[in-house]
Amino acid sequence: MIAIARERRLAEIFVEVADSLVEDFDVIDLLHRLSARCVELLDVSAAGILLVDAHGELQIIAASDEHTRLLELLALQHDQGPCVECYRTGAARTNIDLTRTEVTAAWPRFATQARETGYVSTHAIPLRLRNRVVGALNLFQSTPHRLGDDDIALAQALADVATIAVLQQRTLEQSHVENSQLQNALTSRILIEQVKGVLAERWNTSVDDAFTAFRSYARARHLRLSDLAAQIIEGDFDTRTIPAPPRAS
Amino acid sequence: MAEVLRSLRLGEGGDPARACARALDAAGVALSLLVGADRTAEPLWCHPELSARFEELQFTLGEGPGPEAVRTGAPVLEPDLERVRPERWPVLLPAARDMGVQGVCGFPLGIGAIRVGVLTVLCDGDRRISEQQYADATALAAALTGAFLNGTGHGNGEGNGHANGTAPRPDRIPDWPTGLNRPVVHQATGMISVQLGVPIQEALLRLRAHAYGSERPLGEVAADVVARRLRFGDDLDDDISGPYSPDTGKG
Repeated sequence: MIAIARERRLAEIFVEVADSLVEDFDVIDLLHRLSARCVELLDVSAAGILLVDAHGELQIIAASDEHTRLLELLALQHDQGPCVECYRTGAARTNIDLTRTEVTAAWPRFATQARETGYVSTHAIPLRLRNRVVGALNLFQSTPHRLGDDDIALAQALADVATIAVLQQRTLEQSHVENSQLQNALTSRILIEQVKGVLAERWNTSVDDAFTAFRSYARARHLRLSDLAAQIIEGDFDTRTIPAPPRAS
Repeated sequence: MAEVLRSLRLGEGGDPARACARALDAAGVALSLLVGADRTAEPLWCHPELSARFEELQFTLGEGPGPEAVRTGAPVLEPDLERVRPERWPVLLPAARDMGVQGVCGFPLGIGAIRVGVLTVLCDGDRRISEQQYADATALAAALTGAFLNGTGHGNGEGNGHANGTAPRPDRIPDWPTGLNRPVVHQATGMISVQLGVPIQEALLRLRAHAYGSERPLGEVAADVVARRLRFGDDLDDDISGPYSPDTGKG
């Protein structure tokens, strides 16, 4: 992408995010859209965002696509992988060659699964708030292509936007409010996985297809994904009103 | 449910409420679990006596950080009740003032849509909650959630993708159940709740029981459910069906 077009696109994304930060916005949906923008702007194959939980472990919160394979790969990083290193040191780890075992020796399980998913390199960018790291942005590439300094600066800018989105309601000197927002976001994420299962079983489709239908319905009606998910799981919402995806063949 | 409560009590030893209050440096703590089909909050332990009275009050009225944390699934922090709008908890607030309760925080116990209980912390005269107290209280709520989930006698047998031959340790607060970080586990839980027509919390227990009974990692069993290689039905006895039961008619 040529520089000027990219800058304009970046400005549009900041406006989009600023517009989204209204009261009661849907943090999961916003982070999903941000991940998708990372893929578009940085010319990578996939992107995911991880946040630290109450146990100090990284948990997946959003990804550029909801394919379970990508989600499972990101979820491996609760205890190993480049994002764990990035989270611990607070420093970005970029252009990691997944095909070189000496590079990936510290996290073989993650590297193997990443390669099996078709990725050849990965990057981990910290989500930082002042002097604290609250998570990481993880990028994957399926073709060998180095990210330059400009790309990395842009990735960090997008990671900063993600941090702002997660912690937007913070008030001064109230770090417990920040913690509580991390917690809420992670709870919402699990709710969404649970509702994927409920809908996939009712509709006899894959969980990935079930989620696509679920999200389209929620977006069209401006419902928060986690609110709708909670209602469905509690049995307070008639899922027949959601157009079901075509059945798996 | 009674078995869960008992195992949690046994698991703690001594007076857990007193220990928690001291650990959190709080004026009081109370732990209530949600029991029965209507998910009534049942106090499990409280310290000191003031906490017990406040716990009963907030759940009788359905007002306060405890009930609100249960409803929303998110922590509710009001370390200074003087600053709460009176109409938010119209009956509770004056009563709390009479009791000498200065501030209250509620920390839900649960996983996603699964709500198992709430930890209520009474704040002292400082009328604030420190970062450390908050971190400790959320960690405690998470550990108690894990204890509750493990307290059924199942679980802890799962590896986490790598061989770990640790036996279940029934006599202490168990570790956070492994495998719960994997999206497929939560997806499978949702599917099983529909397959069996049971609430989501029971679906997770059935999934974990199956993993335990078949001595396979939780994530692996969950992946089979999501891929429709394994189906939970009333005709299927979790404990004896083989891990690769040929139920692939679906999909």
